[in-house]
Amino acid sequence: MNENARTQIGGPRDPREGLEAVVALRRMLEALEAAQVENAYVAGWSWAQIAEVLGVSKQAVHKKHAKRIRDRFPGEPPRRKGKGT
Amino acid sequence: MLGHDSVGDEDLLLGILRADEGMAAEALSSMGVTLEGAREESEEMLSDALSSIGISLEEVRREAGDAFEMRIPEGRRLPFSPLAKKVLVEARKEMRRLGDDHLGTEHVLLGILHIEDGTAVRMLAGMGVSPETLEDQLFELRGREAG
Repeated sequence: MNENARTQIGGPRDPREGLEAVVALRRMLEALEAAQVENAYVAGWSWAQIAEVLGVSKQAVHKKHAKRIRDRFPGEPPRRKGKGT
Repeated sequence: MLGHDSVGDEDLLLGILRADEGMAAEALSSMGVTLEGAREESEEMLSDALSSIGISLEEVRREAGDAFEMRIPEGRRLPFSPLAKKVLVEARKEMRRLGDDHLGTEHVLLGILHIEDGTAVRMLAGMGVSPETLEDQLFELRGREAG
């Protein structure tokens, strides 16, 4: 980044820009989580396996993602596979 | 809520465009603002913000695949951001000021336009639409409908 566009301690000159990057990152994090959970589900991972790697409870993952993903992929869940192969 | 995603004032604007009903959507579309265009503008603003901290939204998208979408997923319940709440408070004020007995999209749009440094207003500016012109357009449509 251009040296002039930064404060002496290294943050962006405009605090708004710095804070807005945080907001954008949150939105991106949510989008990335939704996508990767969906990718794992389609690859045959169980909710329990997905939750374990995300470091949250199975209920939390299910509550947040199950409806959206099942609406997108109606019918039987993909065949269960072992993870991390 | 610190650390969580929320519904912002720009999401309310996208919602009005998506519902595609009422005077607000009509005013917006007469100024050339489409849902597709607004989504692109919104994503471009997010992409710019991310690139300021060295993150390429395009690369993340490429890695995550087709399932990756920056818009709030269907059915997802998120809290309103303080600015979004302020928009709704302003919308109610407009409704009362105009003597209307229901809260319509036009009141919400007026509320959005009152947040001068909000994301939605900057998004509209990015699409070449000034709050003043849009407000005039809205009142012209109202006048036509009443007359």
